[in-house]
Amino acid sequence: MVKNAWQRWLDRRLPRARQVRLDQRRIFILPTGYGLLYLTVAVLLFFGGINYENNLILALCFLMVSLFLVAILHTFRNLSGLMLRAGGGRSGFVGGQGSLEVVLIARRRPHRALWLRWLDQAAQETSVEPGEETSLWLNLPLRRRGPVLPPRLRVESRYPLGLLRAWSLVALDQECLAWPRPLESADCPAEGGDRERRVARAGQSGSEEFRGLRGYVPGDSLSQVDWKGYARGRGLNVKLFEEPASGRLWLRYDRTEERPLEQRLSILCYWVLRLSRENRPFALVLPGAELAPGQGDEQRLRALDLLARHGKEG
Amino acid sequence: MARIYQVPSHARLWLTLAIIAASLPQFQDGPWWQALLLLVVLGWRALLDHQRLAQPGRLVRLGLLLATVGATFYSYGRLHGPEAGSALITSLFALKYLELVGKRDAYVLIVLGYFVCATILLFHRGPLAALYVLGCLTLLTASLAGINYSDTHARRRQHLTVAAAMLLQALPLALVLFVLVPRVAPLWNMQLDSGQARTGMSDSMSPGQVSRLTESSELAFRVQFDGSPPPPEQRYWRGLTYSYFDGGTWRQARPPGWGDTDTLYNGRGPQPPWYRDLRAAARGPAWEYRVIMEPSQQRWLYALAVPFTNLDGQGLARDLRLVADNPVSGSYSYRVRSVPAAAEGVTLNGPERRLMLDLPARGNQRARDLAASWRQRYPDDDDLVRVALRYFREQPFHYTLEPPRLAGDTVDGFLFNTRRGFCEHYASGFTFLMRAAGIPARVVAGYQGGERNGDYLQIRQYDAHAWSEVWLNGRWQRVDPTAAVAPERIELGLRGLVEQRADSGGDAVTGALGRLPVLFRLRQWMDYVDFNWQKWVLGYRQEDQRALIERLLGAFTPTRVALALVGAVLLVCAALAVVILARRRDDPARPLEREFGRLRRGLARRGLDVSACHSAAALEAAVGRRWPGSAARAGHWRRYFEYLAYRRDGDPPRAELHQLGRRRRALLSGLNAGADRA
Repeated sequence: MVKNAWQRWLDRRLPRARQVRLDQRRIFILPTGYGLLYLTVAVLLFFGGINYENNLILALCFLMVSLFLVAILHTFRNLSGLMLRAGGGRSGFVGGQGSLEVVLIARRRPHRALWLRWLDQAAQETSVEPGEETSLWLNLPLRRRGPVLPPRLRVESRYPLGLLRAWSLVALDQECLAWPRPLESADCPAEGGDRERRVARAGQSGSEEFRGLRGYVPGDSLSQVDWKGYARGRGLNVKLFEEPASGRLWLRYDRTEERPLEQRLSILCYWVLRLSRENRPFALVLPGAELAPGQGDEQRLRALDLLARHGKEG
Repeated sequence: MARIYQVPSHARLWLTLAIIAASLPQFQDGPWWQALLLLVVLGWRALLDHQRLAQPGRLVRLGLLLATVGATFYSYGRLHGPEAGSALITSLFALKYLELVGKRDAYVLIVLGYFVCATILLFHRGPLAALYVLGCLTLLTASLAGINYSDTHARRRQHLTVAAAMLLQALPLALVLFVLVPRVAPLWNMQLDSGQARTGMSDSMSPGQVSRLTESSELAFRVQFDGSPPPPEQRYWRGLTYSYFDGGTWRQARPPGWGDTDTLYNGRGPQPPWYRDLRAAARGPAWEYRVIMEPSQQRWLYALAVPFTNLDGQGLARDLRLVADNPVSGSYSYRVRSVPAAAEGVTLNGPERRLMLDLPARGNQRARDLAASWRQRYPDDDDLVRVALRYFREQPFHYTLEPPRLAGDTVDGFLFNTRRGFCEHYASGFTFLMRAAGIPARVVAGYQGGERNGDYLQIRQYDAHAWSEVWLNGRWQRVDPTAAVAPERIELGLRGLVEQRADSGGDAVTGALGRLPVLFRLRQWMDYVDFNWQKWVLGYRQEDQRALIERLLGAFTPTRVALALVGAVLLVCAALAVVILARRRDDPARPLEREFGRLRRGLARRGLDVSACHSAAALEAAVGRRWPGSAARAGHWRRYFEYLAYRRDGDPPRAELHQLGRRRRALLSGLNAGADRA
């Protein structure tokens, strides 16, 4: 109840955005345990100074208190003005981890010893000097299939003195996808050019006819790279194969066994991965979505993303 | 899993320096083993850091701890109290450094460091000590900044800069707190038992036995008058009265059967009658001043007659002097209002009168005879005092600081044989004569004179003086027989640094210092600093705070003080926030652009406006058109500018920027010279 109210308040005060600049509206600041210990020492010195009637000890106490007050401003300044921008995302399978990139941009001031973490994760430390930017990849556990919105990002710093903790809870408008967890199944839910449901030669490689080499372009599957040739210094090339007539497979959702939705998607996922590993072209047909035939890493990612998004809005 | 965060290596230096700096004063104040301990710990730590030794195990650390506690107990006989406590905490500080592993240890170490800084201030209170502690604080703060910045790219210097900047910003705020935070009276009494030798006056006076007066030029106290101070011959700083003479020594005494309340009123309880009489008589002109005493380890205070204070921490004695509640163990300051006319309010009757006439049953017969002969001839007390003074003036008495020793009847010996002595001899002899003649008299000890420095007086140990007071016309009147013998002693003060030097064999250093005017000036100046330090920093107490707040706010009420405190703190914080959080001006970040801007402004001052979006070449061309004579120098600048700007990425090194700056200045000053010719 309270937690929900807090979340609602946070959402109103700090709405999600692609880019966030930390300012006094977004920064919270409180003393750390060490800061309280430090103040306790100052109070003890105050009593010492009073009792020994020693003005210098009192002055020391006052200086410590003033330093604490100045530290509030400095700790605040260390976060204030920091820009956070949503960067890229790396998707992963359900049960594994995805990661999201957060770009930190310092404009006029240095921002040092920043700790960034999703609310329930381990923190990473970084610093940004003025005029520079740096990016961090923060891991995110993927528990359910579909697009995963990260929880609020906690940006925290105790710099310079560790007496105070300034933090902000930033909601960056970014997401990564949780692909279905692959589920092995013997039957390929596909219809191919040869009208065969069973891919008999699935395990065998080299069944395709070698056609030649072409220069590597990003997106090509690394398993198709002619590594032997690369080792001999012939540059990075990709082996091209004649697409066998029977190779074009249409993975179809409606061809999977009668199982719950998630499991059917998992089976499709398994076959997407397997066919990609075998460098076989495939297409994917889901209710309401279709992926044209293709092969390679890009095709695989597209297929996985499609599976991940299936049934989830957006 | 508890993760151990290491102390970053760039923070180590500051931490080590902070430990050494904070422990150093303890070498002087503490026991001998303290230095040894620190050296062992530092050495051990250095070996540890180079992996030559293993981290000491729990047993070793426990052993060291017990040894330290044992050694402290051995040195002081106890573990509490300021000295033992300081020794203990400084040792713990060093030991903690030995077991420093993670950040958590460093945090503990730094907190201990603040305590150690406070212990330094227990024993050293000068301005230099304060600066030193400020230095220690900077190092501690730099260590804090270091351990909170675990980036390996961090530079050591960075931490010190951050710490120094933060402390500088904290200073004004600390000043506000220092001035405005209400001072509370001590919650429990803690006295520093510094075993310092007592200096200055003693509580008895034996003229015959002491053959040398203190020649120390050490400071006894300082006085600051509201308005101008009285002339030297009226500056008699009363400290003690001696009323009892046993034939050799004068001592303090009170009439038999009298208690504390009969002779001393310190503001607690109802006012005794004699105090009320004094207050009632306190009318007429008065001197108002503040006395700042150096530690004397004695309870008596010094003031002009008849001193009134607010009785906060001191009381007024029936013999018209001030007595502190506790021995003056640190610098002590008090405000006095001296009303000479209040002396009218004193009575002298019964046992007290008998005490003031009391002499030993036997001894010093010649002096008694002399007094008796005067009494016969001069029944009037005034006449008799005048005759006695004439006696000192006309007989061949000499004022000397090194009189011969006296044995047996010291008064007779001085009055009739040696006739050489200093103030104590004269005061003793005169008082004896008065009492023998039946006039109540006592010896007063204190200081006389004082030397001006700035707006205050310095009273040094060599200003110590003794004189007499006799009961004449119903009041105590000051009679200084020394003035009769050596009037210049009173008018010029004993000092005349020349005399002081001539008479002091042992104090050769001060003597030599006194001879050199520059050093003398320097010494006076240092004393001036010290005085103001004592007055405004060490001696800033409740009543000063009260006076200041009354002056600033009109009245001293809790709400006003609280409002002033909160208001001032907020104000300073706001000012600091503006300074700290202000956005930097959006000036071009690149040094070359700044350099270009400087030249542009320089030209604008000389009447040539060049747009900011011109190139360096366009700027050169504009200069060449306006001042053809300077075209070559402008080309010079332009070529170097372009060389720096386009040769590589990033900012050019500092030396090359300086070179460019020189070319710019050469160009601009060339324009000036050209203009002069034109």
